[in-house]
Amino acid sequence: MNQRSVVTLTINGAVVEARAAASQTLLTVIRDQLLLTSAKRGCNQGACGACTVLADGRAVRSCLSLALDCDDKRIDTIEGLGEDPTMQTLQRAFISGGAFQCGFCTPGMLLAAFALLTNNPRPSEADVRYALSGNLCRCTGYKKIVEAVLGAARALPRQVTP
Amino acid sequence: MASIGIASSPALFRPRTLTEALELLATIPGARPLSGGASLVAMMNAGLIAPTTLVSLTRVAELSGLHVSPEGTISIGAATRHNAIATDGRLSGTTSVLSRAAAQIAGEAVRNMGTIGGAIAHADPGLDFPPALYVTDAMVGIASNSGRRYVSIREFFVDWYTTVLRPGEIVVVLEIPKPKPGVALYLKHARVAGDFAIASVALSLTRQGEVRVAIGGCGPAPLASPEADRILSSDMSVTSVRRAAEVLAELANPVDDVRGTADYRKLLIPRMLTRALQNGVAAARVAA
Amino acid sequence: MSKHGDFGIGKSAVQIEAQEKVSGAAQYIADLYRPNMLFGAVLQSPHAHARILNYDVSSALSMPGVRAIVTGDDLQEHWRIGAFIKDEHALAKGKVRYVGEAVAAVAAESEAKARAAAAAIEVRYEELPAVLSPETALASDAAVIHEKASEYIKVFDTGTSGNLCSRTSFREGNVDQGWRDSDLIFEARYETQPQAHVSLEPCGALAEMDANGRVSLWSANQSVFRVQANVCESLGMPMARLRCLTPRIGAGFGNKMEPHVQPIAVLLAMKAKRPVKLILSREQDFEMVRARHPFQIRFKTGVKRDGTLVAREVEVLVDGGAFADDSPGVLGYALLMSCGPYRIRHAYCHGRLAYTNKMRFGAFRGFGVPQVTFAGETQIDEIADALGLDPIEFRLKNLKREGDSWLGGQPIDSNGLAECLDRVRKASGWTGKRRLPNGENSRRALGVSCSAHISGLLSTGAIIRLLEDGTVLLNTGSVDIGQGSNTVLSQICAEALRIPLDRVSIASPDTDGSPYNWGTTASRVTYMTGTSVLRAAAEVEQKIKDHAAEILECAPADLELIPGGLVAVKGISHRNISFAAVSGRAHWAAGGPIIGSHSWVFDQKTIDPKRASVIGLPFPQIGGFVFNAIVADVEIDESTGKCRVNRAWSACDVGRAINPQMVEGQIEGAFVQGLGFALFEELVWNGAQIANPSLMDYKIPTFVEAPSELHAIIVESKDPRGPYGAKSVGEIGINGVAAAITNAVNTALDVRLRRLPLTPQRVLTVILERELTAEAARAQ
Repeated sequence: MNQRSVVTLTINGAVVEARAAASQTLLTVIRDQLLLTSAKRGCNQGACGACTVLADGRAVRSCLSLALDCDDKRIDTIEGLGEDPTMQTLQRAFISGGAFQCGFCTPGMLLAAFALLTNNPRPSEADVRYALSGNLCRCTGYKKIVEAVLGAARALPRQVTP
Repeated sequence: MASIGIASSPALFRPRTLTEALELLATIPGARPLSGGASLVAMMNAGLIAPTTLVSLTRVAELSGLHVSPEGTISIGAATRHNAIATDGRLSGTTSVLSRAAAQIAGEAVRNMGTIGGAIAHADPGLDFPPALYVTDAMVGIASNSGRRYVSIREFFVDWYTTVLRPGEIVVVLEIPKPKPGVALYLKHARVAGDFAIASVALSLTRQGEVRVAIGGCGPAPLASPEADRILSSDMSVTSVRRAAEVLAELANPVDDVRGTADYRKLLIPRMLTRALQNGVAAARVAA
Repeated sequence: MSKHGDFGIGKSAVQIEAQEKVSGAAQYIADLYRPNMLFGAVLQSPHAHARILNYDVSSALSMPGVRAIVTGDDLQEHWRIGAFIKDEHALAKGKVRYVGEAVAAVAAESEAKARAAAAAIEVRYEELPAVLSPETALASDAAVIHEKASEYIKVFDTGTSGNLCSRTSFREGNVDQGWRDSDLIFEARYETQPQAHVSLEPCGALAEMDANGRVSLWSANQSVFRVQANVCESLGMPMARLRCLTPRIGAGFGNKMEPHVQPIAVLLAMKAKRPVKLILSREQDFEMVRARHPFQIRFKTGVKRDGTLVAREVEVLVDGGAFADDSPGVLGYALLMSCGPYRIRHAYCHGRLAYTNKMRFGAFRGFGVPQVTFAGETQIDEIADALGLDPIEFRLKNLKREGDSWLGGQPIDSNGLAECLDRVRKASGWTGKRRLPNGENSRRALGVSCSAHISGLLSTGAIIRLLEDGTVLLNTGSVDIGQGSNTVLSQICAEALRIPLDRVSIASPDTDGSPYNWGTTASRVTYMTGTSVLRAAAEVEQKIKDHAAEILECAPADLELIPGGLVAVKGISHRNISFAAVSGRAHWAAGGPIIGSHSWVFDQKTIDPKRASVIGLPFPQIGGFVFNAIVADVEIDESTGKCRVNRAWSACDVGRAINPQMVEGQIEGAFVQGLGFALFEELVWNGAQIANPSLMDYKIPTFVEAPSELHAIIVESKDPRGPYGAKSVGEIGINGVAAAITNAVNTALDVRLRRLPLTPQRVLTVILERELTAEAARAQ
């Protein structure tokens, strides 16, 4: 039973068709079929965060999502957020702050930070550490990442609450 | 050394109603329910299980969401995500223990995906919800295509990774009695943030001084005892706490694993209980 | 801090690869595709020690999508590799020697098909007794893991015999005299645990053979040259037939310096006659590759009552796992560094490395020094406490100073260690009272450590080519594994030629075009390759001047480079000519394209035979010295035994910080990796099998465990040999972390912990012992 079904996914705002077997994860479909390789397979267990994508704006593990079960969500990967001002602010802060070394965890880290700032534009340092604690980094020791996220938060325009 | 990926792939069903889902689970041999995916897909990826049929519950709207009845009892749909529980202000007073436990599960992304029903059905002894559910005297609503039944959470876990769920049955709701004014906390001891608990204490303390406590991570089910609750509700002297800890430790059946040995976990019971009570009393003072 | 150079040095230039990393465009090995590509999967051994009787690949071969299968039968017996002892094949041949060892591999149309087919390969084994500890390995009746060890090629006198893989000893002075001269002698045993690298990127490789039989190989690696040599040796290929290239690398820390699946990928590609990509799962990355050596250490120190260190003896027993890999080097290096950066007249450092039926242990940041530093630096505190001396004062009293040499006699060219200790002492507010105010349920204290490391080793080169438009192409063969070497080397080049950084391009390491570089390891790239870049730039400068002299009609000695890619007459800057003009002339009219190059091997001798006697020296030349001091503020939750590092200060003498932000990145990252080593990381064996080969069960520090205050302090002693005075900083930051943390815990709890990691369980055990002793005392 190696059946692959067609699934219609909304990825980075575009509607795309993919074929997947029921056991195939969103991670393998976006990497192998859609060739969006920013999401990484670091562990395939949901423990490292390198596969993080956004589903309806919330950070999720693409390695734990079955592709065929994702047709009702808007999926965003970092490739699709290049024009977003919040993401651009974060990326600039990461670059100037030295908030990555090997870069393998960076797409997932930026998406997790993006999701945080979307929900909480003025996070404390503890908020940042807590919200990002599911994203592992082995290179940086985390300090420069925290500083970059806090710096990006400060650089974002203050929202006027209606 | 299991392999990733399965040569032959399961069938996936995505029913929109509970009735449909239960019908599928009853009639297809080997069909497994899929909720958040945090446990099931991880095991599939590791090659530990190879289900032939998956029934995804993600489109069954009635399984999701938290509702408060006119009498004040709280119903939590089994497919409610951990983060929704972590941030729901209606889980107040003694029931805030559920939010506090939910907030310490894994990482943010897993909390966005995992569900309370999926978690307790998996029955990992290091889970955070079970001791918190014990302390709120939750009832587990179980459904199959032949009907519905309710089981006290304290009867739900019967052995390692084993619950009372029969083939074709799924958890559909957690019914929580009306919150009592007071404080609650969830003290978790783990190696790192997001890890499974080595041991944990769920505690609620009403304004009247009524204590409910449950210990996680020390056996196939949380440790809890009305006697321990009675002892602590009457007073929290060092002697009482020691006696209550002894009562709970009697029930303990922990394992040795890479997080700690069984002996270590038993040592933790009185110490963490003391710490939890200290924190609880302090929180009560602040709340007052 | 140094002031900025004009163009590069001292400037925290952003990573050259920054934009691709933040946009998700960076391509790592798993992201590469070649047309008509197959996917590889590995079958692993279920046994710790067994003879391979035969293989039956028939059912696997008949599975859908399977295109090739390889086993040890595809290899010849003499195709063995190993950095120090050539004892390994590309796939197990004749025997398996650890649970998890690669036994066979499949190439198929999809990864799922390849893995399913690998599982269907039947191998018949004859089990042999498994040897699971160094003690049992070295017992006279132990099953021998490498029966043919006497035939293996060895690069130095290892003393291999039975399961003794290698042995090393350094002797300086006379320790027996030292004990007699000492007023007090301290001796204790210490133990450290295996640590997994956990680079976020698992190991992988992609190999493709062209129609002429030449193979291109991309892989996650720390040296394209080691990959080339190892693959060719393991497959009996002439080196000219293999081209090794590098995608972006998702960190290494030592895991990717020696081979992992590269030979297997090439073997599959050659058999299938199609490109093959083989990426390990995280579990396989834990089980198949390598980890940090567990050490058993006996440490003995003699001291005078006035606090003068007299003698140290260090004896180690190291578990090397099933294959030698880098282990003989780790043994030798750890022993060389073990006494610490102190003036000690008499030293005897010796040890043995045993083969066992476990996954090989190998290079991991620090290369044995975190282990021996844990022992040596916690003993230093024990001694200081016994003598009533402040631990920092005690260290300063005995510290190696400018002009001193290391154990064995190698001169220390620059030594900023005293300043490191001073800076962390001040920054942490260190007073004689190291205990900090207790919490209600916790105890808290400061702990200090200091350590040294080398920068250097073996050979490297650089080529700089002046392109026709006056921009520059730098080619060094050094692999940037994320630490920023591409950027730092470009900064050095830009500084030397006085051009903006964006006029320097750095080529990707490629064995076809790059000059040799031993590897990104041993903290060597800034120091060794940076030096080559500087010297190559000097040659380019000279050639530019030679051309310009002809054009401007003066002597080359009258010329100087001025900022912006110009060469001018000294003092008359308007009489200048651009690099582009010079380069144009060189390409089209006279002299030929301007290319500068340099190559060298580190050449200072490790041992002066008049000073020290050595048996089994793995490296006759090693490197320059770097130094570090750490103060850590550690708090222990007494209800659980869990330790938390609240704050830490780590000062590193890096000679000169070419890129201060990147230097900080190394110090900070190394600290947190060391924190994991100190407090909870441990690869655990359950009998012959690794019990926790997954990120659910093996935990590394998250944002929450990292200290809320982590201060990286840069000290610059200006090394006379390094480029612009720089030394390298890749490893030094990890060596002393466990010791500083343990010293803090020991002080806070008034105990002596001698075994890593300091798990909550171990710490609670000593807390309880102390509580019981206190209770008993009260009862009396």
